[in-house]
Amino acid sequence: MRLIFTLFLLTIYSSISAQINESIIEFAPTFNDLPLELNKNYCFKNDSLKISTLKFYISNINLYQNNQLIDSVSKKYNLIDVENPETSSIKFLRTNSMAFNRISFSNGIDSLTNVSGAFGGDLDPTNGMYWTWQSGYIGLKLEGQSKLCPSRNNAFIFHIGGFKNPYNSIQNVNLSTKGDRKIILNLDISKLLKELNLTEIYEVMSPSKKALTIAQQFSNAIKVYE
Amino acid sequence: MKIKVTFFIILIFVTFVSFVMQEFGLIYPSYFPKPQYDFSKNPVDSFKITLGRNLFYDPILSADNTISCASCHSPYNAFSHTDHTLSHGINDQIGNRNAPALFNLAWQKSFMWDGAINHLDMQPLAPINHHKEMGETTKDVVRKINASNFYRSLFYQAFKDSIATGERMLKALAQFQLTLISANSKYDMVKQGQDSFSTQEQNGYALFLKNCNSCHTEPLFSNFNFANNGLGLDTTLKDFGRWMVTKNSTDSLYFKTPSLRNLSFTYPYMHDGRFKKLSDVMNHYTNGISQNKYLSKELTKPIILSSKEKIDLIAFLITLNDKHFVFESKYQYPKN
Repeated sequence: MRLIFTLFLLTIYSSISAQINESIIEFAPTFNDLPLELNKNYCFKNDSLKISTLKFYISNINLYQNNQLIDSVSKKYNLIDVENPETSSIKFLRTNSMAFNRISFSNGIDSLTNVSGAFGGDLDPTNGMYWTWQSGYIGLKLEGQSKLCPSRNNAFIFHIGGFKNPYNSIQNVNLSTKGDRKIILNLDISKLLKELNLTEIYEVMSPSKKALTIAQQFSNAIKVYE
Repeated sequence: MKIKVTFFIILIFVTFVSFVMQEFGLIYPSYFPKPQYDFSKNPVDSFKITLGRNLFYDPILSADNTISCASCHSPYNAFSHTDHTLSHGINDQIGNRNAPALFNLAWQKSFMWDGAINHLDMQPLAPINHHKEMGETTKDVVRKINASNFYRSLFYQAFKDSIATGERMLKALAQFQLTLISANSKYDMVKQGQDSFSTQEQNGYALFLKNCNSCHTEPLFSNFNFANNGLGLDTTLKDFGRWMVTKNSTDSLYFKTPSLRNLSFTYPYMHDGRFKKLSDVMNHYTNGISQNKYLSKELTKPIILSSKEKIDLIAFLITLNDKHFVFESKYQYPKN
C-alpha cells in the first residue's frame, strides 16, 4: 500500500517536473511574412511560383547561458518536414534548471553519421533524405516551380548535402534567444528564393560548390522570430 | 601416455586457434586482416541472418516483383552474374556495369566499382532505387514488406518487433552478406598446411607475387583501392569510374580492384564485363594496356610473361576458386 502511494507521488512529481522542464523550438517558415503554404501559387509581377517540398535536418542542438554550454537536446537528429506540421516543433526536457539565452545547432548531418551505416527514426532512409546512388544524407530538400526557371515544367529542385571537404555542406547556426521556454525560429523562404537566383540555378542535386552556397544561404535565413 | 594425450590436445587446440578467428559469430582464418565492418553497431545473430537471406532472394525488392538481389548475384557464380556483361534489371533493361561478386564483404572499405557507397548497410539502396535495376523506392519496398504476413514473423524474431523499417531491412541484408565468407580454396588449404601446391601452381604463385600482389593483395586478393588498369574508354558507356564520385580528374578511369578469389565462377571480367576469359585478362596486362595520363603507377612498367608463365599463373589463380563457398547450402535460396 505504502509502495503504491510512493509510486503515485513519484508519478505526480515527475509529470509536474516534466511540464516545468519542457522547452520547445519551433520552425515557422514564412512567405512574404505569412506562414508558408505548400503547393500554393504565389503570384508576383514577374514570377509565379509554388513550393512543393521543404524538408531539412536540424542536429546537435546545444543550449548556452552566455558562452557556457549548459545543456543539449537529447534527440540529436530532427527531420523537419513542412508537410507534417508536427515535425516543425522540437520538444525537449531540460536536464538542469539554468536558463539559456543562446542556442546552436547544425543544418545537415555530421560526417561520422554519414559513414556509419543504417540508422532508424528521423535518419531512416525511407524518409527520402538519403542519396541512393552515392552515400550521404541530404540535409535540405527544397522543390517547387517558378516561372523564372527555364527547366522542364519550370521546376526547381535542390537536394543539398555532402559531408566531405571541400563540399562539406553542414552549417552551424548560432542564435541568441529571448526566453528559454518557447523559441520560434523563422525561415523567410521568399527572401531565400530571391537570393538563390532561380533564373540561373534551379537544379542542384549533388555535393558541389553550388550546394555549399545554398546550404549557407539557407542557414543564414534562419532567424529568431521577434 | 597421459602426457602424450594432453600434448596432442594442446596441439589440436593451438592449430585450431591459429587458423580460426571469430568476430561476433563469423568465422574466418587468422591470416585474414581485421574486418572493416563495425560489428558492434550491428551484432550478427541467426534470426537477422535468416531475415536478410530471405530478403536477398526476394523479388519484392523490385518495382514489378521480378528482380531480386540474387538475380544478378547468384550463389553459383560466387554471387556475381555470368549471363550478362552488364547487370540486367526490371523490364529487361540493361544497367551500366558488370554485377560484382559478393564475398568477404566485411573487409571492404567501399562498395560499387567506383566506391560511391561507403558502407555495406547502405549498398542495397543503390540497386533498389536504380531505374534500370530494381526501379523501386526504399519507402515502397518497406511498405510491401510490412504488408506481408511472412515477413512479420521474421522481423519479430529478428528485432522483437514485427514492423519493418528501412534501417532494419538494411541491417538484416548486411548481416546475410557478411556471412558470405570465402576462405576454403586450395590456396587456403595450403596456407593452413592441409594441402600443397603443384610445381606449376608454385611457379604461378611466385609470378603472382611479383606481378599482381601489389594491387590484388593476398590473402583477400585485393587491397580494395582503386586503379586505372589501362582499359581504353568504352565510348558507348562513357564510364569514367571513380572520377564521377570524387570529381577529381586524376581519378579518371579508376575502378575498384576486385578480389581474384573465385575467378572461374565470376566471368566476364572488368567493370564492363569486356573480357570473357582469364586468358583475355592475361593478354590485356601483358599486351593490351592503353597508355593514359592517369594509368596506375603499378602498371607503368610493362608486365612481361611467356605463354608458359601465363599458364602457370592461371594454374595458381585457379587455386583461389572456393567450391565450398559456391555450393554452401546456407547461402542458397532459403527453404522455409
